Amino acid sequence: MPRDRPVDAWILPPAIPAPSTFQHARAGGLTIRYPQPDHDLAGVIISSLRDARRALATFETKELVAILGGVGERFARGLDDRRIGEVAANADLSPAMAETALGGMTQSWTTSALDRLVRAEFRDPGVLDGFVARDRRSIRAASPGVSVHFGAGSVPGVTVTSMVRALLVRSPVLVKPGAGDVALTVRFARALHRADSRLAAAVAVCYWPGGAAASADWEREVLARSDQVVVYGGQGTIESIRARAPATTRLVEHPHSVGVAIVDPGGARDSPESAARAVAMVDQKGCVSTHLILLLGGAREARRWCGQLADRLAALETSLPPAAAPPGQLSAIHQLRGRLAVRSAASQRIEIWSAEGPGWTVILAGGDVFEPIGSRTAWVVPVRDRSACLDALTPLSRVLQTVGLAGPRTEDSELVEGLAALGATRIVPLDQVSFPDTEWLHDGRRPLGELVRWAERR
Amino acid sequence: MTAPSDRAMWTLLDGLASTLREWSRQSRDFNRLALEIHEIQRAANPVLRRYWDANTARDPSSWEEIPPVPVAAFRDVPIVSGVPEVTFRTSGTTGGGGRRGEHHVASLDLYHASARGNYRRHLLGGLETVSVVSLIPCPEDAPDSSLSVMAGFICREPEVSSATWAFNPEHGVDAGAVREAVGDAFRVGDPVLLLTTAFALVHLLDELAGQGADNRHGNGERASTDGRLPLPEGSRVMETGGFKGRVAAVDRGALYGRVERVLGVPESHIASEYGMTELLSQAYDRVAAAESPCESAARVLRFPPWVRTRALDPATLAPLPPGDSGLLAYFDLANAGSVCHVLTEDFGCTTDDGGLHLLGRAPGASLRGCSLVAESFLRATRRGARS
Repeated sequence: MPRDRPVDAWILPPAIPAPSTFQHARAGGLTIRYPQPDHDLAGVIISSLRDARRALATFETKELVAILGGVGERFARGLDDRRIGEVAANADLSPAMAETALGGMTQSWTTSALDRLVRAEFRDPGVLDGFVARDRRSIRAASPGVSVHFGAGSVPGVTVTSMVRALLVRSPVLVKPGAGDVALTVRFARALHRADSRLAAAVAVCYWPGGAAASADWEREVLARSDQVVVYGGQGTIESIRARAPATTRLVEHPHSVGVAIVDPGGARDSPESAARAVAMVDQKGCVSTHLILLLGGAREARRWCGQLADRLAALETSLPPAAAPPGQLSAIHQLRGRLAVRSAASQRIEIWSAEGPGWTVILAGGDVFEPIGSRTAWVVPVRDRSACLDALTPLSRVLQTVGLAGPRTEDSELVEGLAALGATRIVPLDQVSFPDTEWLHDGRRPLGELVRWAERR
Repeated sequence: MTAPSDRAMWTLLDGLASTLREWSRQSRDFNRLALEIHEIQRAANPVLRRYWDANTARDPSSWEEIPPVPVAAFRDVPIVSGVPEVTFRTSGTTGGGGRRGEHHVASLDLYHASARGNYRRHLLGGLETVSVVSLIPCPEDAPDSSLSVMAGFICREPEVSSATWAFNPEHGVDAGAVREAVGDAFRVGDPVLLLTTAFALVHLLDELAGQGADNRHGNGERASTDGRLPLPEGSRVMETGGFKGRVAAVDRGALYGRVERVLGVPESHIASEYGMTELLSQAYDRVAAAESPCESAARVLRFPPWVRTRALDPATLAPLPPGDSGLLAYFDLANAGSVCHVLTEDFGCTTDDGGLHLLGRAPGASLRGCSLVAESFLRATRRGARS
């Protein structure tokens, strides 16, 4: 949905005068407008957020959960077509996919979900409100101070989730959404501003081109003056922020990761459908997205299962169409398919099922060939048994995150222990892969626990 | 014992080298020769035969119907008929699974035959003698670089009175060697032909600017105190590989402006070369120091006549009309020993008269999201394997 009128990629606390000079950029199918990254403005924003700490601290957790959850529920009830179209265009997703993704993401923003999150994180959520007696001491989960959150890419809702977590631990927050997650983040922040003046003072959203020379002064100021930085991103982004953040600024990092599935076709008749959805959701751009499927069984069974997976992916191409991919991504698909066809011609055991266009690809091959490229590409690797699954995943241990199981059950303690030992941090039934529960241990860490600063009194 | 298919291939390669050398004086039927090569490649290379059989339903009647091989395949499978005489490797691994692409070249003579007429016309025209200064590594330092080997060819041309290799793969640009070579060229009255990648050129200009007041030619003449090192009158520059968006694109206009300010070489004397490891032919966008106006017109890359260029629709790979941007595919007859039809990752458009505007790497290659994709994945997992 290309739009000529720029969408504002910023909202600042009311106490800050509205900026007067702007830059424009393309973000998916949208033109976005953001304040000129300016050293002084960065200082003003962080100071203003710092001033908001005291007001934010007056919330009791229950009240805060209710307000945040109330806003979340409005989004969970659905957005109108125009707003969905805006989110879809921004994220380079089809409207149907954007709506489905929002439906999944918003389930973790409701009052009950946030209440569950707080209770899962803290045995007594009162520690967020003040010191709580525990054994021979009192403890408190104190605000980390002012946070800056660097969002990643274009999965709608990731940045909102990060922002909500910061507010739950009473951290005023400056959020830099990923370029493809601007529309939803700004809309949600606007709703927070309207919901409560204390939140309005504590929430700033501002896009800027991360790492660009023109943003260097702004970023230096932001990194130097904030107390905690949460960064989602690729290796380059994280290394760059690590290198520039002062040692006194706490860093919380969420690097890109890769999702896999382990499927026993004999034990899970619906596995092609579940796998297809796990591969197709948000066009495989999520950190939880499934790229690699280890398939228990022999070659003939694997071939039949790949055909079924291909059928399901073809059906999803109609019901949840992929967005038009940019030329570079299309090129990557052509290069991959052609390259594997040449390898196949060279007698290496590789078979490919694919859409006529770039919509989806299923590759049956050995594990050594696997390279995630996205664009609904499923790499299926036949494996002999469950222990061979662990061997196949060993090279991925540093980047492993979600493992979806179909056939093997999550109660299979030997397999699950093996996966956890390898580095998998989320092991769930395959049909639950795409949308983590609100209290999931994000990248192996407690989502609120990693943000707070514990204090004890004796 | 040599198989009949191999003998046919060697006969082809021998004959083709002569054909390319004589091409400009002949009227050749490109399509007939392309199909002839295709048939011999089919017979000599079972991998290509199976690939084509799997990707096309019938015998092609024109070169356009022969399915192109993606450049990424050069990273996986040796694509060569017979025993390669030399293997060229790509310098980077972008988009290719962490491996360098390898072009196994069956006949170095054919590479020479393909490159020579083109570089002579675009770089050496009108020169009686010239001193070559190369910021491309010498072939001994980089024997698997097709660019270095071509620079070696150039240095052996009869017009070349001296060759200075002023780039070391480990230490980079040797500005001192450049200054000395330029001083020597002034002494003997030769113009200089500077062979360089765009990035090495930037490094040289930065180095000269940084050394400022210390700039002295070897004999102390024409000392410059402002970071300039004017080359002798009539000097030329061949620049390559700076505008493809691979690492950090260099702004061509700004770079050429700096070259004119620092080295005194006007834009009319700078020819941009476009080549790739996977192709044995190269394109140039200008005849350096051309005298005729048509040769110094707007910069359009042109391959020799034994190469055909097409821009293909990025989604469907259908051919696009001139002026429409798409993925670039080349059919290079000089690639007879490997594979002629190659689909690249580059983006550009053709012109009505068969020229090429290169726009860089196809935009939007990296998936925007928080899922790990190939290059980062391979970096991360390789590191994991070492530990």
